[in-house]
Amino acid sequence: MEETVAEYSVRPTDLPAPPKDAIRIVQACSRPGVDSRELARLVANDPVLTAELLRISNSAYFGLVSQVKSVSRAVTVLGNRALRNLVLCISMRDALRSDAIPGFNIDVYWEDALRRAVSARMLAELARLDPEECFTAGLLQDFGLLVLLYLNPDQVSHWERLAASTPDERRDIEIDLFHATHDEVGLTLATSWDLPPDLAMAMGYHHDAPPEDTEQAMRQLCTVATCADWMASVYRSADKRTAIQQVRSLLAEHFDASAEHSDYLLQQVAESVAEAATAMGMRVGEQVTFDQVLREANLRLAEENLSYQELTWRLEQALGERDRYAAELHRELELAREVQQSLLPNAAQQLPGITGMNLSAKAVSGDFFDYFRIGENRLAFCLADVSGKGMNAALLMAKTASLFRCLGKGVHDPGKLLAMINREISETSVRGMFVTMLAGVVDQASGQVTLANAGHLPALHMGCAALVGEYPAKAPPLGISPDSLFPNDSFELLGGCLYLYTDGLLEARVGDGPRLEHDGLVRVLREQAAVPLQDRPRAITEAVIDPDGVLEDDLTLVIIEGRKLNGLQ
Amino acid sequence: MTFPVEDRQGFSVVMLSGEIDLNNSPDARKVILNSLKKMKHVMVDLSNVDYIDSSGVASLVEGFQYARSNELEFGLIGVSEAAMSVLRLARLDQVFRIYGSLDERLANGG
Repeated sequence: MEETVAEYSVRPTDLPAPPKDAIRIVQACSRPGVDSRELARLVANDPVLTAELLRISNSAYFGLVSQVKSVSRAVTVLGNRALRNLVLCISMRDALRSDAIPGFNIDVYWEDALRRAVSARMLAELARLDPEECFTAGLLQDFGLLVLLYLNPDQVSHWERLAASTPDERRDIEIDLFHATHDEVGLTLATSWDLPPDLAMAMGYHHDAPPEDTEQAMRQLCTVATCADWMASVYRSADKRTAIQQVRSLLAEHFDASAEHSDYLLQQVAESVAEAATAMGMRVGEQVTFDQVLREANLRLAEENLSYQELTWRLEQALGERDRYAAELHRELELAREVQQSLLPNAAQQLPGITGMNLSAKAVSGDFFDYFRIGENRLAFCLADVSGKGMNAALLMAKTASLFRCLGKGVHDPGKLLAMINREISETSVRGMFVTMLAGVVDQASGQVTLANAGHLPALHMGCAALVGEYPAKAPPLGISPDSLFPNDSFELLGGCLYLYTDGLLEARVGDGPRLEHDGLVRVLREQAAVPLQDRPRAITEAVIDPDGVLEDDLTLVIIEGRKLNGLQ
Repeated sequence: MTFPVEDRQGFSVVMLSGEIDLNNSPDARKVILNSLKKMKHVMVDLSNVDYIDSSGVASLVEGFQYARSNELEFGLIGVSEAAMSVLRLARLDQVFRIYGSLDERLANGG
């Protein structure tokens, strides 16, 4: 079941019992016109508190001018405010006994709290606040975390994570672990225990800004608490560099402190903690110095830089590898292209009265054409387009072209030839690929043409000035049905030419105009009819293709010249 | 994108639409072949096809070939004029079984 955060928020009734006697003294201290004798009497009622108060008052850290030996003297020397603060520190320190949270060494928490306390005390001067008041706020501002651990002892094992966190990270981890944050719980506790409002503010608002109507001094105390939080985290968190930078930026923003001053204060934290611990009767371990912290931060930075360099190196390696693969692929494609081009008639195989041209949109093409002599005056010719593009189309093209050349030398009936090729490629058809193909035989002496069209665009017979005939497909493409029949068309090519082409030509555009389509193509063919046969394919493609543009589709064209008639051609 | 398939009166009807080209013909192919693997009778509705290129036609051809070798029924229904002109040009109207609608196929009884 999904539970909401509200259900997890700490209720006042869940909190540990308040130190009532101490709170009574704290409240009395704040009462206007309170009698110092009454305060002394209240303190004297609690022998443990009395002893602690005298001990702390006489400590070097709090450095009172004269030694105090009695409660009444302490009350007089300290003044109400300082008394209040000391009582708060002592009573809160003792509010949760050292064994209150099973499996948790509470001293570790207080050591962290002491760093906040000494940091806050140092900031008091910059903030123009009372040092002891700042110390108290610093010491107690994260008390909510202790309460969270007390209420959720099963999460104590996550202390290392909490300890290694920066203040920002700490709240995220708390939400994760407790569904509540220490500042929120601290505020609840301060209200419930009736703690003084300044302390309540410091506990509740050292992450988020205090409410708008908060008075200036309290607002300032919250700022001190925020800064103290980050200063302490320099010694605790894993990400020391971020913590140091945040301290510098916070102190510059709020107290106009230079980076050097900020670092000086951070250095003082380590030096003051042990002294403050002695004063407060708390146990702390050996303190690392700020220099050690800086060294650790720099070491980590160096490590990160190192891994960054390694990352860069790996990226370079990967890019190099990619380029090598690309070059290899390019070489392979070039070879494939060469093999493909070798399947087309080359310049050395030029025959009179017929010409062809193939332009590929990609390295390899799915189009092809071929022609060869099969008798003194007779030529076999073909033009085909394999469905799809790329390597699979190129391979099927190679197969079909080979079949045409191989079988076409013996089979001179175009319809029968196509039927044979069709059976071959239907048997091994993959992924629905098919070939549209025009195959024919022309007798250059008589002008007689026999043609079969398997699913291809119509062959166009252009006369001197106009379209004379069209020969559309009478059968489906090759590779679909092994039993298809391919009827022949026979006609006389008198004058003019027969044009075979692939859809690359039909779909070409002149300039930004529409696709050429049938009528446009007929017009272009008519316009270029006077160009000598061997130059005409280039003239036609140049008329319809933008020389700088990208070819969208393979474009192939075959032109077969008819028998010349006297005076007509 | 993927193309919807409707089960109607013992037929899977694959609804192709828009432009069937190199970009989405692999989707069309997948939907057609999946339908043929599930149902014995599959019709491809081309009534909303505005354009079909050779890769799109190849998806239909593959469906046709798969059905033929597995003795399944494969046909086209409601072929739009745009698709029909492509099929007619390549004489594929001789290859595919083409019906005006599923009702026409049902009335003909296959």
